[in-house]
Amino acid sequence: MLYRVIDDQELPALVEAFMEDYEVIAPVRSGASYAFHHVDSFDQIELDYTTTITSLKKYVLPPKETLFTFDADANEVTDFSLTVRPRVIFGAHACDINALNSLDLVFEDSRYRDPYYEARREGLLIVGISCSPTETCFCHLMEADEARTGYDLFLQDIGGRYLVSIGSVTGANVLESACNPREATDEDRIAFRQATRKRQDSFNKDIPDVQEIAMLMDAFHSDPFWDELGSRCLACTACSSVCPTCYCFDIADVLDADGRTGRRERVWDACTSPQFAMVTGGHNFRDSNRNRVRHRMYHKLNGFLATHDRMLCTGCGRCVRACKAHISPIEVLKFFEEKGA
Amino acid sequence: MAPITTENAALRVSPYHDGGAPQTGAELIAANPYRPWPARITSIQQLTEHEKLFEFRFIDENIRNAFHHAPGQFVELSIFGVGEAPISISSSPSKSGFIELCVRRAGEFTQRLHEMQCGDIVGIRGPYGRPFPFELMKGHDVLLVAGGLGIAPLRSLINNIHDERSEFGKVTIIYGSRSPQEVMFRDQFEMWRHRKDFDLYLTVDHPDDTWDGEVGLVTKPFQHLQVDADRTFGAVCGPPVMYKFVVQEMRNKGISYDRIYMSFERHMKCGMGKCGHCQIGHQYCCIDGPVFNYWEAKNIQGSM
Repeated sequence: MLYRVIDDQELPALVEAFMEDYEVIAPVRSGASYAFHHVDSFDQIELDYTTTITSLKKYVLPPKETLFTFDADANEVTDFSLTVRPRVIFGAHACDINALNSLDLVFEDSRYRDPYYEARREGLLIVGISCSPTETCFCHLMEADEARTGYDLFLQDIGGRYLVSIGSVTGANVLESACNPREATDEDRIAFRQATRKRQDSFNKDIPDVQEIAMLMDAFHSDPFWDELGSRCLACTACSSVCPTCYCFDIADVLDADGRTGRRERVWDACTSPQFAMVTGGHNFRDSNRNRVRHRMYHKLNGFLATHDRMLCTGCGRCVRACKAHISPIEVLKFFEEKGA
Repeated sequence: MAPITTENAALRVSPYHDGGAPQTGAELIAANPYRPWPARITSIQQLTEHEKLFEFRFIDENIRNAFHHAPGQFVELSIFGVGEAPISISSSPSKSGFIELCVRRAGEFTQRLHEMQCGDIVGIRGPYGRPFPFELMKGHDVLLVAGGLGIAPLRSLINNIHDERSEFGKVTIIYGSRSPQEVMFRDQFEMWRHRKDFDLYLTVDHPDDTWDGEVGLVTKPFQHLQVDADRTFGAVCGPPVMYKFVVQEMRNKGISYDRIYMSFERHMKCGMGKCGHCQIGHQYCCIDGPVFNYWEAKNIQGSM
């Protein structure tokens, strides 16, 4: 990996350079919290943000998108093309970059590449930025606190200046055109190590580190704990809406007013939704909140790991704040921790 | 800031060909895996009060020639404006140029399909899923157990075995239905029994005066079976409640965990391991299955 150092006064020029060819999406203030949003100037950006309410997944997997249009009378697909707007996400945290990397494993699976996702992903640049953990962050327990791939530039705040990891040719070109990147000195490297150590030490110690989560998910699959968690679940699906890695969707046809033409859409769906695993005829393969909550956690903390060698949870903590019933992976970690006490 | 737009050529979804250089059927299908291809209904056979057997042919010759399935696979069937449904293929792969789908009238989509006539057009994409291990089964005895509509995917395997009958040892079919009126493909199966191609056990829960087969659960005929466990493959498909009982009977006969194959029903909405609806534990029914062996199923939380 190539590293360079830039001063913090150079950031506005960097953002402006991206604005020449890309729509810039960045963290901005949103009420008491933050949100990723289109920005027109550097001043709108809050780089020292905590966690946004929703994640970046909407930029690669929109909540609702048209797959194609059709003529229902002729029962044929009609011409349709998708226009992708080139974008840069300026200021993504490591957990959110890792979440996009996980989505890539699903939607760019070589057996069935998803052309809609691919087109959006191809038009998306990522500039990451280092962060400080909040009370609900546990990315370090999910091995998602560091982004090793999946960005064009990554800015490590080392006090008044940034150690910039350069992940792509495009990233290098924009950086060189807008800033005066210099070689890192020993002083920069030491400052980076100190900043990293400070971040690692500031995670919420009340969230237990359970090494054998996946095995425990299998071992305690029938534990009454899941009945208790299920009894609390409101099936509101807020958890999967805010989750950066929940990618499940529904496919449905929508007819135009003429009743003849229409479009096939895919819309976000959630496995905690009651009818999610129901088949024609009415049989529901996950017929209770218990089974649905457990399945969601199981896929996050075991299932995805079995097929892709990484957890489908980045520890971003969004669901912790979104769930009105206090259900989250942290509750699962605490349950396992208490079992061993 | 001026809006920036780039049109992505890879995402053009045109009705037929783009008018450019000729493309093969495989290339056309690969260009957009969500795009269904028009297929015409060429035959409709009323099997029971609620079930019909539909024969479909792709209208585009390139697509027709590029479509190859294996027993146990399924397609996504489209009726535009109504939606899409996963349906297992009931015909043998050795008969090319058309596919047969056996469909029960059970919801809005299947109701609309049942109202369609010969010559009507639907959309089809696929085939999807891991099939029965047909090549592995060759040279062995096969014990097939179907319950109700579970005969639909198994019929593809049964017909395929019949097409290459000399490649297999003893083949036994146990097929349970609720009533004699709900038995499907009976004439075909009875004919093959008569010709000593297959051993056939038909069972029903509720017999009428004409019924001369077994009465009771689909597991009942097992008491008559002589199974050479070392050279037998099992294949099972039926309602969710049926699997554990049938599999136990097969285990009692000594058939190995990894030679008992089951086809599972789930709602495969995309068919490509993405939408999540068909997940069973850590597996996707659409790409890891729908056919799993018993050993695999035992290692999937919530499979049976």
